[in-house]
Amino acid sequence: MNVLEIRGLVKTFTLHTIDGRTVGALHGVDLDVARGEHVALAGSSGAGKSSLLRCVYRTYVPTAGRILLRTSEGTPVDLAALPDSEVADLRGRELGYVSQFLRAEPRRAVLDVVARAGAARGMDPEAARDSAATALRRLGIDERLWAMHTTVLSGGQKQRVNLAAGTISPPRLLLLDEPVSALDPVNREAVLAMIADLTDAGVAVLSVFHDLDAIERLATRVVVLEEGRVAADGPPAAVLRDSELNLEVAR
Amino acid sequence: MRTVTELAGTGGPRGIFDELSKREVRRAALTAVAVPGYQVPFGSREMPVARGWGSGGLQVTLALVGPGDRLKVIDQGEDGGVNAANLRRLVVGHVGCEEETDTRRATLIQSRHRIPETPLRADQTLVLQVPVPEPLRAVEHDVREQRRMHAQEDYARMWVGLYEDLVRNGVVTKSAGYPCMVNGRYLISPTPIPRFDVPKLDQAEHLTLFGAGREKRIYAVPPHTRVEPLVFEDVPFEVEHTPGAACRHCGATASYLVEVPSMDGAVAWVCSDTDFCTRNREVR
Amino acid sequence: MSWALKVDGLGRVYGEQGPRSLPGTGPEHGTSVSPATGAVVAAWDVGFEVAPGEALGIVGESGSGKSTVMRCVAGDERPSRGSAYLSAYDDGRTDVLALDDGARRRLRIDRVAVVYQDPAAGLDLDTSAGGNIAERLTAAGGRHFGRIRERAAELLELTEVPLSRMDDPVRTFSGGMRQRVQIAKALANRPPVLLLDEPTTGLDASVAAGVLDLLRNLLERLGVAAVVVSHDFGVIEMLTRRVMVMQHGRVVETGLTDQLLEDPQHPYSQRLVAAARG
Ligand SMILES: [Zn+2]
Repeated sequence: MNVLEIRGLVKTFTLHTIDGRTVGALHGVDLDVARGEHVALAGSSGAGKSSLLRCVYRTYVPTAGRILLRTSEGTPVDLAALPDSEVADLRGRELGYVSQFLRAEPRRAVLDVVARAGAARGMDPEAARDSAATALRRLGIDERLWAMHTTVLSGGQKQRVNLAAGTISPPRLLLLDEPVSALDPVNREAVLAMIADLTDAGVAVLSVFHDLDAIERLATRVVVLEEGRVAADGPPAAVLRDSELNLEVAR
Repeated sequence: MRTVTELAGTGGPRGIFDELSKREVRRAALTAVAVPGYQVPFGSREMPVARGWGSGGLQVTLALVGPGDRLKVIDQGEDGGVNAANLRRLVVGHVGCEEETDTRRATLIQSRHRIPETPLRADQTLVLQVPVPEPLRAVEHDVREQRRMHAQEDYARMWVGLYEDLVRNGVVTKSAGYPCMVNGRYLISPTPIPRFDVPKLDQAEHLTLFGAGREKRIYAVPPHTRVEPLVFEDVPFEVEHTPGAACRHCGATASYLVEVPSMDGAVAWVCSDTDFCTRNREVR
Repeated sequence: MSWALKVDGLGRVYGEQGPRSLPGTGPEHGTSVSPATGAVVAAWDVGFEVAPGEALGIVGESGSGKSTVMRCVAGDERPSRGSAYLSAYDDGRTDVLALDDGARRRLRIDRVAVVYQDPAAGLDLDTSAGGNIAERLTAAGGRHFGRIRERAAELLELTEVPLSRMDDPVRTFSGGMRQRVQIAKALANRPPVLLLDEPTTGLDASVAAGVLDLLRNLLERLGVAAVVVSHDFGVIEMLTRRVMVMQHGRVVETGLTDQLLEDPQHPYSQRLVAAARG
């Protein structure tokens, strides 16, 4: 069953502050992600991978097309047309997003950031703290850091805290934008294992990874984007072998 | 047919207060009775009394009093004071009513600092002279804002004043003119009467009219009207009382007592209400 | 009903109220001053809803009309037209903008609270911190001194004001501390709607950060519906999840807060965001 169905997605930026020119990012993308499926987006930088994730999360305003999310209540909603407040309500429990940007919430303790994310999704505050602790432990965040503000963390630590916050009480559809880009090999292993578990638990994942190895290990399907269009869609081994992007992606 | 001017009387030697002015005061007083505690504006006149000696009270008295009345005027509880006597004579000379010092026999009583100890009856009227009628002046100087606060029954800042007093001093220090809610609606300042006299206004048999000459305001507490001092539920309203004090003349302990200098330097107390004290002595 | 506060078609014109004052004003004309009448169309056709537990931001430069909207909703000013509803007042059936002054004022006791940029606008500086809170509590009928003290202490604790300062006049407080007292007072009667007008503007950066953290925590915890007016995207980003951009008295864009910052649509929004990003 598809959790996400994207049809004819177009995203164009109009740059009013420059000269009003328009820049196309996505030119009619179709894409499905089923429950328990991990679809990795591949393609050169500028191909529209991040834009696609942001359109789904509605950080970007889709210009045209439909983005159907089948919520846990079973009704499909069109994220491209949904009122802001309803999108905001879906965020968290139904729709999760872990950004590559190492934005940390200022002046808030590590454990707090993760626990509050859980509480915001309706978890009991006590249970949220327990789950937060479990996730942080699993992701190798030293317990001595938990009471510190996130701003003191290294890039890799922030990335893992973001992931912990984004996956506590896992959403139905998880959008991952280069979640391991700043990690050393050991921590990277922990994160990849956690993402694999999420897929096994039925979470639909749509991801952007900058390394081929992660895609091969996690993705159940790969969609290659080229200049804002789908260039290939299929099993990871076949797509990556056939694609001339191999080197590009791996680099 | 007589002209309005003739009806109003002339400004001759006895015409300190013409008929038109009386009528205006009566109208204001009637409004005041109809809306208990509400300060009704009226066109206050210049009165031949010393400044600060109750031109407002005098105008109310003159508007109410008739030849058949018995008028009692007290100053600080005394009938015999120079001011009280002068004022009484002024009205009596003008109207031709009787002078009276016995609270029980008076039909009209004008006062400033006290309400007589002897409970007043339904057939008696108390006129209180008010120097500062506006209780909100303590917390707000802007007259328009004061009016808004009354209109919207927005007295929170009075409560804050009480709160601050309690926090700073541990007790409510306000004594004379203690702010009271009338009929659960309007806040009044009951003139410089001591707290001791405030309960006498609550559900009283008699009508009390308050006249403020300089401020041009008349307000009223009609008979059988609630008069509740502003107090927090858990901080009881306490009236002035000195344990062990008794009147040097009549021995009363439950009347309002004032300190007087005594020969031997010790503290001595006497009733502030001289009429009450005299009769109390006779009883004993 | 999903909203705690709903505003429809709000307009505020200074000067001639007639329809002649509208043409030639708004973003497309680059002015809010009517060429025909000289009237200032400070706000026009502004509408929004805020859900319990949600914070809506209103951004724009000075003169954009954002503070006018706030003042009209707060009851500090009468709008020229429009209506507003509170789910906590008559189940949202009564237009609270049409209430008389007294009724509007009473809404401020326990239904809609405002935190102003200038603490002196929301506080009596010569009254103690506790006394300022007592004002709100007694306005709501509180008549028990002990319980008023208790609740005031609780609120000061909530807003991280040292209890040792409870009985000091607010005038002796620092700017950040005054703002905390103002927030405590605003929350005194647990209003379901909270309006914040540039709540950290004018404070030193570190002090502002502390007040902002406090507001963030309170909004998360209390479940109030909040409207945050600010020219500062940092404040908007931290406190709100949806935002409305105003220019020359009109709403030019509404969106999710992250969307406005990442993908602003209107030319004016793009300029604002670009300027904020330096
Ligand atoms: Zn005596």
